[in-house]
Amino acid sequence: MSWVIKAFSSSIGKKLVMAITGLALCGFLAAHLGGNLLLYVGAEQYNHYAEALHSQKLLLPIAEVGLLLLFVMHLVTAVRTTLENRAARPIGYEMRQSKLPPGPFLKPASSVMYGTGIVVLLFLLLHLSDFKFELRNPAVESETPFAKAQILLRDPLTAIVYIIGSFALGYHVLHGVQSAFQTLGFNHPKYNSGVKTLSTLFALVVALGFSSFPLWAWAFHSK
Amino acid sequence: MSPTMSLTLKVWRQANPTSAGEFRTYKVHSISPDQSFLEMLDVLNEQLIINGEEPVAFDHDCREGICGMCSLMINGQAHGPERKTTTCQLHMRKFKDGDTIVIEPWRAKPFPVLRDLVVDRSAFDRIMTKGGYVTVNTGNAPDGNAILIPKENADKAFEAATCIGCGACVAACKNASAMLFVSAKVSQLALLPQGQPERTQRVQGMVAQMDSEGFGGCTNTNECEAACPVGISVENIARLNREYIRATVVGLT
Ligand code: FES
Repeated sequence: MSWVIKAFSSSIGKKLVMAITGLALCGFLAAHLGGNLLLYVGAEQYNHYAEALHSQKLLLPIAEVGLLLLFVMHLVTAVRTTLENRAARPIGYEMRQSKLPPGPFLKPASSVMYGTGIVVLLFLLLHLSDFKFELRNPAVESETPFAKAQILLRDPLTAIVYIIGSFALGYHVLHGVQSAFQTLGFNHPKYNSGVKTLSTLFALVVALGFSSFPLWAWAFHSK
Repeated sequence: MSPTMSLTLKVWRQANPTSAGEFRTYKVHSISPDQSFLEMLDVLNEQLIINGEEPVAFDHDCREGICGMCSLMINGQAHGPERKTTTCQLHMRKFKDGDTIVIEPWRAKPFPVLRDLVVDRSAFDRIMTKGGYVTVNTGNAPDGNAILIPKENADKAFEAATCIGCGACVAACKNASAMLFVSAKVSQLALLPQGQPERTQRVQGMVAQMDSEGFGGCTNTNECEAACPVGISVENIARLNREYIRATVVGLT
């Protein structure tokens, strides 16, 4: 199996690790968003979904460990490649100008992946400490899942931080999805515009979808 | 005759690979908008020689955009502001009278500065020795068109083959990655029947050499494509990735 390790440790191999783990994590995002959207269907449906999920005593821990592994691989490879890429140019330029046509944003998503990645990591840590470990507000433990989401998200500061996190996540996957296709060798004139549309749509759905929850809690369920 | 220009040049000067180097500012006058960028540097050098100073060393050979020797970072852009143009083909009419122009060498760990604006690009040669070739029978030249090649593949291979190996992709990439160069060289041969015998070992060998030279990795920023003076497409990088995946699956090592 040494050939597998060798293949994944080259520069292209590390790109492949980023692409595969990134796409898998996008799959998780889609599922997570889908589940959360039940908040809009109704308290009963959402609570039912959350209880069904947490009653999976075998599958849930396996999925959690799997996600953690994917995440750690994505993160470790990102740090490694970033350090290597910086080392490839020990002396920088006095002046730097892009030759790419200007995009709609101040900086293209591809050039701020490390930055948006760090914001996403911090957001994830906060989110886990809020919802999984209930560190900031231990009182929510006794609440139903629906009430817990409301109580945690309606705090204005939390809402703002969650919205920033969601948009950073959206900007991250905007480049991530189409980049993953390119890395996996999927580049074809017939499909390229489709891939671009897909990643833009996915980024929009992620950014708007996840940021809608704190807005909803804040707007409709504040005390 | 069109009016001439006076320019301020901020040029990287470095006596040898180990010395520190610094920017020096020079003024040049009577520059014609029809001169090429290198001809403008020739004017500067004549001026320096008359003043008893060392002329600025820069790489060039053909001065017609085909050899890939000229290599300057001009105002932070590889080969200057014009797309699909080498430094030698860049005209001074792209600049305005009174402009300040910053001129730097390519910056990448595998491209050490030899002197002033000249860098050592033999890392590319070492990559080429690991697979940038095909084996052919010696003896009589084969019949033309004896091997049938789909037009589309021939076109794509030709496009990839137009890479002049100047290193602008490395210079422009924020990661100093050589992926566009390697992908052009791998694609050119992978697309043709003549390239099949070494297909698997080619991509493995060239990628391994690229990595050991210390180039960075690709983050699909596409700055290389925009900087390439002959317009090599990042489609080739996707093909390089496919070739790499294929070689990993079918290769013996
Ligand atoms: S000098 Fe030959 S390409 Fe510029």
